[in-house]
Amino acid sequence: MNCKEVVGFRSVVKRAGRVVRSAAAIMVATATLATVLVSGDVQASSGVAIPPKQPWSFLGVFGQFDQAALKRGAQVAAQSCMACHSIKYIKFDQLRQLGFSELEVKALAEGAGRTKKDAMISSMDPVAAKESFGVVPPDLSLITKARKGYEDYVYGILTGYATESDMALANRVMADGQVTAEEAKEVASALLLDAHHPDKMAESLKRLIGGENFNRYFPGNFFAMPQPLMDGAVAYTDGTENSKVQLSRDVVTFLAWAAEPTQMERKALGIKVILYLVVLTIMLYAVKRRLWAKVH
Amino acid sequence: MVTESDESRRDFLTLATGAVGAAGVAGAAWPFVKSWSPSADVLSQATTEVDVSGLAPGQMITVPWQGKPVFVLRRTPAQIEAARKADGETLPDPAKDADRTKKPEYLVVLALCTHLGCVPQPIGTGNFGGFLCPCHGSHYDTSGRIRQGPAPKNLPVPHYEFKDEKTLVIGKV
Amino acid sequence: MSKIMEWVDERLPVTELLKSQATEYPTPKNLNYWWNFGSLALLVLIIMIATGLFLAMHYKADANQSFDVVEHIMRDVNFGWLLRYAHANGASFFFLVVYVHILRGMYYGSYRKPREILWWFGIIIFFMMMGTAFMGYVLPWGQMSYWGAAVITNLMSAIPVIGEELVIWIWGGFSVGDPTLNRFFALHFLLPLVIFGVVILHLWALHAVHSNNPDGIDVHDEKDTLPFHPYYTVKDLYGYGVFMIVFCVFVFYAPNFFLEPDNYIPANPMQTPAHIVPEWYFLPFYAILRSIDFLGSFSKLAGVLAMVGAIMILFILPFLDRSPVRSFRYRPLSRQLFWIFVVDCVVLGWVGYNPADAAIFNGALPLIVVGRTCTAIYFGYFFVLWAITAFDIEKHQPVPKSI
Repeated sequence: MNCKEVVGFRSVVKRAGRVVRSAAAIMVATATLATVLVSGDVQASSGVAIPPKQPWSFLGVFGQFDQAALKRGAQVAAQSCMACHSIKYIKFDQLRQLGFSELEVKALAEGAGRTKKDAMISSMDPVAAKESFGVVPPDLSLITKARKGYEDYVYGILTGYATESDMALANRVMADGQVTAEEAKEVASALLLDAHHPDKMAESLKRLIGGENFNRYFPGNFFAMPQPLMDGAVAYTDGTENSKVQLSRDVVTFLAWAAEPTQMERKALGIKVILYLVVLTIMLYAVKRRLWAKVH
Repeated sequence: MVTESDESRRDFLTLATGAVGAAGVAGAAWPFVKSWSPSADVLSQATTEVDVSGLAPGQMITVPWQGKPVFVLRRTPAQIEAARKADGETLPDPAKDADRTKKPEYLVVLALCTHLGCVPQPIGTGNFGGFLCPCHGSHYDTSGRIRQGPAPKNLPVPHYEFKDEKTLVIGKV
Repeated sequence: MSKIMEWVDERLPVTELLKSQATEYPTPKNLNYWWNFGSLALLVLIIMIATGLFLAMHYKADANQSFDVVEHIMRDVNFGWLLRYAHANGASFFFLVVYVHILRGMYYGSYRKPREILWWFGIIIFFMMMGTAFMGYVLPWGQMSYWGAAVITNLMSAIPVIGEELVIWIWGGFSVGDPTLNRFFALHFLLPLVIFGVVILHLWALHAVHSNNPDGIDVHDEKDTLPFHPYYTVKDLYGYGVFMIVFCVFVFYAPNFFLEPDNYIPANPMQTPAHIVPEWYFLPFYAILRSIDFLGSFSKLAGVLAMVGAIMILFILPFLDRSPVRSFRYRPLSRQLFWIFVVDCVVLGWVGYNPADAAIFNGALPLIVVGRTCTAIYFGYFFVLWAITAFDIEKHQPVPKSI
């Protein structure tokens, strides 16, 4: 290594050091600020239980869909969800991309009262739906993109209804018509309700016992949809256990696909584009550095 | 913008970087160009399925295929006979009837006059027992071949297949 | 080839223009990487116009169809998802790049004499960008599109006497609706081309007075400059590479990071989402708008005036700053003020993101108080900068004679 190169190298190190230092300073400042601001616990947004993150296989740069789960999920969607909900941006025919045969697609479509060229529109009349549920069930095509918490939220809703033991707890707590401080803690950890407001909690428990649709993760806890998926609600043909949790996991996988069928194409192209850009940028940096080395 | 005096810079690294960069710009243009090609929903309309089981001999239906009309005619023995006979005559656009049908019973032709693109009238309207284009008086026979009038070519036969006995699929899957 | 150029040059001096304004255009040799952001803004503008033009070839402005047609672009059109995600994220990156560009100008005194007109063109571009971005956000016709349009257009009703009529005129109806969507689409298509025109004026103004530099001193000697090509073309291209990597990471792997989930719900004029927020780049201004709530019936108008004033005050910045030195590099007091201003803008943005009635520290500190304080600091920056320079309070450090 000759002298000139050493000098060049040193100046680069020095310059890089300066850049790194200022970048670090900005990052530390931002992080400190963010920590101060976030740790301040903004009051208005508390009180809503956040669904836990699930290990979805399709997330991340290299994430891929579990094909078997996708297929099962499409079956759950067609045979269960579509009783009330539409998935209007997906046509039955498109399910062949998930590995269904033409005959299977035809059967699924006919089961829902449609033909295979049709969009996945529920046979439930929106007016009738409004009469019996008070709301028109939302279209599910974009549901995993249209809610805060994305697929974790949808999964949280599907699995967040009151269980039998929750009901038992509610009945036990409300036997004397009120919630003690001790009971509040127990209820808060089981049903994810705010322990600071026993009155509101008692109100919620009363409605739960009264048979209203309680869900841990729905903002406000009560809504129009009765628990849609139970153990064994849909018969799987591939031997997978059809528990509520499994059905939910599969249908959310399918809905995540339905929300953006091009997402795998996007991720596959992204790797190539970014790798190309990294190579080009390194080359441009080399050209730039050599050119500027003469300038003092 | 590289001038002769900049010769020293025109070394391998600069040229390579320029080439890689130019390739990237060309590559970036591709999604824009490709966005004009038929989209997935249009492509899903690329084929039309026709149930031909309800067609009586001599009956014809017009079905839309890729936004264009297609005649599906279930021919009578007499119509087939007429078409076969004309094979030997001097035709403006020579073609054998057997080459224009997959099953002699069914004639499937794109119903756009090869003159200026009008839709010809149904079977039996023209001379030769076939189709008459009302715009400029082109007559097509029972095989959809041009026989008389200004049109230069026979009515084109689209790609089609019989998926089963009663289902005709027009267009390539 | 050279003969053809000779022929052309006799009629239109292209070569000379390129030489004097591009290739041999003298540029200070000490520009740092913060100077890359101007050319980066041009890159993003080109990306936005190109992707926008091709999106417009598939889009339909219609209250009954727009939401569906955006999904059609995402699902059916070849590379439609790429065009749309690049365009949606491009908006955020455009503001990111332009904010850095503006702050760079503020830090190094690039707005000072003789660059006032250059600075003003920049603010006009920024103002038009905000209008364009706002109208573009309406086009997908989701819940945030609709309610964002409703809230922002309602600001006009604060104008005395004609306000109410004006809002109805802008809507073309009695609420945001199909006529609004159609006119916003037409303007969203037109404005970027106008922006492009003002960018040319911005560059003309730049080339008339030449670039400022980190030392903020006038360039006297040719030794202090470099020909723009190849030095700054290559440096700008290197910046483009780095930028595109970051941009593509978002477009391909976090395309919804800057988007609100609520905008994937079709517009519903009967129901407002629980928590509506503007896009992040409007948040500081939104916070300023909301912070004026203590003037009774005058609050609404005052809020709007404060928000508009927050941008308009930039126009007089060149006359507020009276320091004999341009660059804050040699102005310790101004430098501290500047960083307070930057942090203040971030906090304002955070206040704008949270609900108006939120509070921190277990309810001890309502956010509205934070918002008011930060608004005061925002405007205070300009006042204090004027005060310390007009009354010679700031003692600047020695400035080098040459680069």
